[in-house]
Amino acid sequence: MTLQYGQVLSYVPDFLAGAWLSLQIASLAFVMGLIIGLAGAAVLTYGGIVARAPVRAYVSFCTNTPQLVQIFFLFFALPDMGIILSPYAAVLIGMTLNAGAYLTEIQRAGFQSIQRAEIDAAETLGFSRLQTVRYVVAPHIIRTLYPALSNQYIIMMLGTSMAAIFGVEELTARALNANATTFRSIEIFSLTALIYIGLTIIASALLYVLGRALFRVKARAF
Amino acid sequence: MGIIAGLIEEAPRFFTYWNMLFLANAALNTLLVSLIGCLSGYVLGFAIATFRLPQITPLAPVRGALILYVEAIRRIPFLVLLMCVFFSFQLSGVQASLFMIAVTAVALRMSALSAENIRSGYEAVHTRQWDAALTMNIPPLTALFRIILPQSWRVILPPSTIHTVSMIKETSLVSQIGFLELTFSARMLNQRGFSALICYGSVLVLYFVISYAFSAVGRYAERKLVHQARVRRVPAMPA
Repeated sequence: MTLQYGQVLSYVPDFLAGAWLSLQIASLAFVMGLIIGLAGAAVLTYGGIVARAPVRAYVSFCTNTPQLVQIFFLFFALPDMGIILSPYAAVLIGMTLNAGAYLTEIQRAGFQSIQRAEIDAAETLGFSRLQTVRYVVAPHIIRTLYPALSNQYIIMMLGTSMAAIFGVEELTARALNANATTFRSIEIFSLTALIYIGLTIIASALLYVLGRALFRVKARAF
Repeated sequence: MGIIAGLIEEAPRFFTYWNMLFLANAALNTLLVSLIGCLSGYVLGFAIATFRLPQITPLAPVRGALILYVEAIRRIPFLVLLMCVFFSFQLSGVQASLFMIAVTAVALRMSALSAENIRSGYEAVHTRQWDAALTMNIPPLTALFRIILPQSWRVILPPSTIHTVSMIKETSLVSQIGFLELTFSARMLNQRGFSALICYGSVLVLYFVISYAFSAVGRYAERKLVHQARVRRVPAMPA
């Protein structure tokens, strides 16, 4: 038996369209997770005991259970309570909640890296509150967190592949469909793997360049 | 509050001896796949990271190939990797059990993750240590085991427990090839007529218990190791 890529190559445009959808899901979930994470991290750092407890429970629940089962739960258990989610919505909400928990942890480390002395110095120099955040605190936090955040983004990009299980037509789902019609399994999945590798390498490179240009992050790209 | 009433009504039917045995068996399968896979992945990753060292392998192409392998495997989603392994076994004509396929996929992914992790542990030790060891005519492998590794454990250990826990969670994807682990057992129970809430809920709790326990063990080991290192450093101080 030999590998025959001829038939499979005609699926490339279809796969690339799927990859574009994967990218959209990952980016949307990442941005929304970032917002949840920011709120969570702020509560964990500055909140009282009562406020911290539910955030802590949320983070430790979401980081200790598989994302797949969380989405299964949303997709199959919520209809019992009268909430019916489309596959796309279930995947997006599941990924957002999961990412929110990890991003809470990451951003909490950022909040903890702020030092009192920095803020005092800014105050002494006559910076307003907004200026302190804009010129002192934010650049510092972004520079410390950037590698962890871009790593999380890449992890989420790979995580979008489980959307296929729920019938969202992203890259892996299209690969499974093509596999069901052509039976060129190895050819299809090696091609899919190659696309994922290319996609994440491009994303890593872009994030590296962006970090260098916007925030002067000095971290290795790979 | 119809949901809670429904749960209370359903619980005695769900939590029977046989269902619990079924879930326990599935949990054991999850644990076996992730632990055997992770252990073999670690051995592989250790070998990869070691042969990536210029002090051990002077041949640049070999190191390049290893870097390529790690970078490629790390960037393939576990589901796609699993499918690749599944169909590779089929193509090669080897009669492999689902367990074998799952373990291979876990081991492959883990080898790339741990190689990266162990490499960063090696890099945390200053190259002067290598230079000093090689100058004293200590063979490279001896230098690695006696000088470099004892110092890099503290860097290697914390991420490796995190990777292990995340692999345990990722084995939930193995349900897609039909291997009976926790996620698949939840689906089966759900298809037998129990509500999704109770099936997926109890599986979520089981996953939580397993991965929480592993994180706790990891944190304990980390504390122990860091503590030991601190104690050992004390006599060297007055000089």
